[in-house]
Amino acid sequence: MRPLAVVPVRPGAPPAALPAIEARGLTRVFRRGRRTLAQRLRRQPDTRERFAAVDGIDLRVEHGEIFGVLGPNGAGKTTTVRMLATLLEPSGGTIHLCGVDALARPRQARALLGAVLGGERSVYWKLTGHQNLEYYAALYQVPRDATRGRITDVLAAVGLSDRADDYVERYSTGMRQRLALARALLAGPPLLLLDEPTVGLDPQASADLRERVRNLSATGKAVLLTTHDMDEADRLCDRVAIIDHGRIVALGSPAALKRAVRATQVVELEVEVAEPDEPGLVAAFAQLTTVAGSRRAGGALQVVLHGDATRQLVPVVVEAAWRNQAVVRRVDVIPVTLEDVFLTLTGRELRE
Amino acid sequence: MSTPDGLRAFGATARKEWRTVRRYLANLAFVVFWPLVLPAVYVLEARGFAGGEARALGAFAARAGTAEVAGFLYLGWAVFIWLTIVLWGPGASLRDEQLRGSLESLFLTPSPRWAILFGSAPAHLVLAMAMLATVGLTLRLGLGLAVGPAAALRALAVVAASVPLLFGTGALLGALVLWLRDASGLFMLLRGLFTVLCGVTYPVAVLPGWAQATAAALPPTHVIGALRAALLGGARLAQLWETIALLAAVGLGLCAAAVLLLGRVERHARHGRGFEWY
Amino acid sequence: MPLLRPVLAVVRRDLRTAARYPLGMTNFVLLSPFYQLILPSLLLGSAFLVQGRSVGLAAMAGTSDLPGFLFTGALVQSLLLGTCWGVNLTLSMDRELGTLEHNFLAPLRRDTFVLGSALASLVISTLAGVLLLVLGEVLFGARYLSAVVLAMPALLLTMVALVGLAHLIAAAVLLLRQADMIVDGVTFALAVLSGVLFPVTVLPVWVRPLALALPTTYALDVLRHQALGTAPLLPVPLAYAAASGGAVALVVVGRWTFRRAERRLEAAGTLVQH
Repeated sequence: MRPLAVVPVRPGAPPAALPAIEARGLTRVFRRGRRTLAQRLRRQPDTRERFAAVDGIDLRVEHGEIFGVLGPNGAGKTTTVRMLATLLEPSGGTIHLCGVDALARPRQARALLGAVLGGERSVYWKLTGHQNLEYYAALYQVPRDATRGRITDVLAAVGLSDRADDYVERYSTGMRQRLALARALLAGPPLLLLDEPTVGLDPQASADLRERVRNLSATGKAVLLTTHDMDEADRLCDRVAIIDHGRIVALGSPAALKRAVRATQVVELEVEVAEPDEPGLVAAFAQLTTVAGSRRAGGALQVVLHGDATRQLVPVVVEAAWRNQAVVRRVDVIPVTLEDVFLTLTGRELRE
Repeated sequence: MSTPDGLRAFGATARKEWRTVRRYLANLAFVVFWPLVLPAVYVLEARGFAGGEARALGAFAARAGTAEVAGFLYLGWAVFIWLTIVLWGPGASLRDEQLRGSLESLFLTPSPRWAILFGSAPAHLVLAMAMLATVGLTLRLGLGLAVGPAAALRALAVVAASVPLLFGTGALLGALVLWLRDASGLFMLLRGLFTVLCGVTYPVAVLPGWAQATAAALPPTHVIGALRAALLGGARLAQLWETIALLAAVGLGLCAAAVLLLGRVERHARHGRGFEWY
Repeated sequence: MPLLRPVLAVVRRDLRTAARYPLGMTNFVLLSPFYQLILPSLLLGSAFLVQGRSVGLAAMAGTSDLPGFLFTGALVQSLLLGTCWGVNLTLSMDRELGTLEHNFLAPLRRDTFVLGSALASLVISTLAGVLLLVLGEVLFGARYLSAVVLAMPALLLTMVALVGLAHLIAAAVLLLRQADMIVDGVTFALAVLSGVLFPVTVLPVWVRPLALALPTTYALDVLRHQALGTAPLLPVPLAYAAASGGAVALVVVGRWTFRRAERRLEAAGTLVQH
């Protein structure tokens, strides 16, 4: 993959010392339910239940950093991205993109960012790849004399040069996603927002896209990406914000977050035990090590334990199960992941 | 599957369709607003063409068989709107299922295919009858048309005979579009043909000879003609009887053809790429 | 920020997309006007002919050229329907496809897209309308006076008015999930009130003020006067003044309404939801 040529700094571009994204107290409140036309006409007070999809988020993303926002569906990731992209008005808080107040000067802020939201659904299928980029180059005011070269560069950067003149309806999902990324790069923005960029892609296409994102970050771009794939966040991001119910519950590098779990390894047990004996068994495990979570599934109890010296831990735990009239069906020892971090912090699984 | 089971499947399909139809306000607008407003525009147009000249009005009466211009236009448009309800309702229902991805699950059931094909008709029949009732009231109360009980009964007989005809057309098209996979284009073309050739806004007598022959081959032409004759032309039931019988017979034939066509489409799908390919 | 280039980009995008649907476009801009408007009206009109002459129309409008009367109306209707439906369909499809979000991410005023789509629709519908005029002469015996070219400014004013109307339609598309009913009703009402199907003097007295408030009424009236020699509603210079005032008013109101709709939806969070 050809690296992108460095885009010359445009006159008036904000200094690199300012963070790419700085959001403080970002909040977005929605109302549940519908208000009928009759209620509106009668100017009745709006009594619908309010809920905060994003509830006071602080974010700071530096240039050259890949910042991940990780959380389950409905956590507030997409709402956050859309506020940053000026597509959604926050109910409270401030947003600065490269020093520009995005709420006061949204158009100026939008000129600083490239975004992939909605992936393959966000390009015109009835046009060719080249025609799509020509169109967006004009919208983003890429200088006329630089447009052709710029399109060539971004197509090469995403590996679509040989398919540029084909209609997008004939592209695969991965190719459309790459075209969407090419569009985001057209104007050479210092900041990229990627909302679930690998959703719907096969493992190879996902790995390819992740590699491209890494290369973009290496050129100095700030990348904020949302994902519910903890592997992706773990492998790709310099820092991760774990978001749940509209709030950031943890923020740090993947390694630092995993260290906070106070364990290096995770033991997952599947145990056959009668329901009345469950509390006793879990209490016995808790005396030996940290019980991160337990639940009943498929007639057995699944327990997640955090520990450091799993070599000593496993036989002790098996013995404790035997003493409590439980039979161990399965034992897995795996490294701590961000899923475990989420589980520790929220008591729930990321995939729920 | 036994007949009672088949009727049950038919009833379930009809109920499902009704629940969908009644949720859309647009349907109400369609049966109340357009049957009143659309013909009114053509009545105004007719006034423009007549220009208050008795000769012009007389020429119309000679060609149309009635001087009642407003009633003539309202009845023509009523049948046109009925046809539109059928095309975009039962005519598109199978295609809609296909686009939603639920057609396959329908064909997985042991339901008789006629239940699937005609199950959507009752909900749209309710819309059609509401529309026709609106037009009838407009003619009686709005335009002051003197419609006696005998004329009303004749009109009802024409409408009853036209029900299998129009819904058979819808079912046949419904099966056809599964094959062709382009509903909108076909329906726009058909609607255009009907507008131009069936005498919706004009007496068929103004068409050139070859076009009159084509018009005579199209069932909606006879539906419109019979309704006008019953309500405006003073035709008696005995004079309309042949037309009514023909409409009913053609209607039943179309219904049978629709069932056969759907069977062929189903076999083609099973041997080919399946039901969901579009 | 220069406006022309993004607007032209939107025009190019829409024309390229339209070119991918040749049958659909032909049906929409050419065949539909024929079988939905022209032929039914021609046939109705022919039922009133006395010895092959439209004596009623001559008494009402000052011309017995029935095809000429209808085809000039069809030109204006083509512009009206083409613009309104063009903007409605483009915005709705953009929202459905997911491209609306990315269009609105661009550092532009969002009404740039409305202007671009309106212009693209006007290009297509003008070509279609002129073709209809020619077909009216060649196939149906319409006879236009050479003075028809003097009506060009009137048509240009119609286009300006329609750009304003396009902004209102776009606001409706953003505010309502499904604006087809509104567009259908509005275009139908405007076509009728503008005199596309019949002289506006046929309208009931209580409706006539509405018709006389529309810039399209005067534009069509001037077109017919120049093309067919009909008696105009107002002296031509006054008709131009009325059309100009109406067009400017529509543009101002349209743009204001669109911006309000956009701000309201940004606040509600449903700007690009489908």
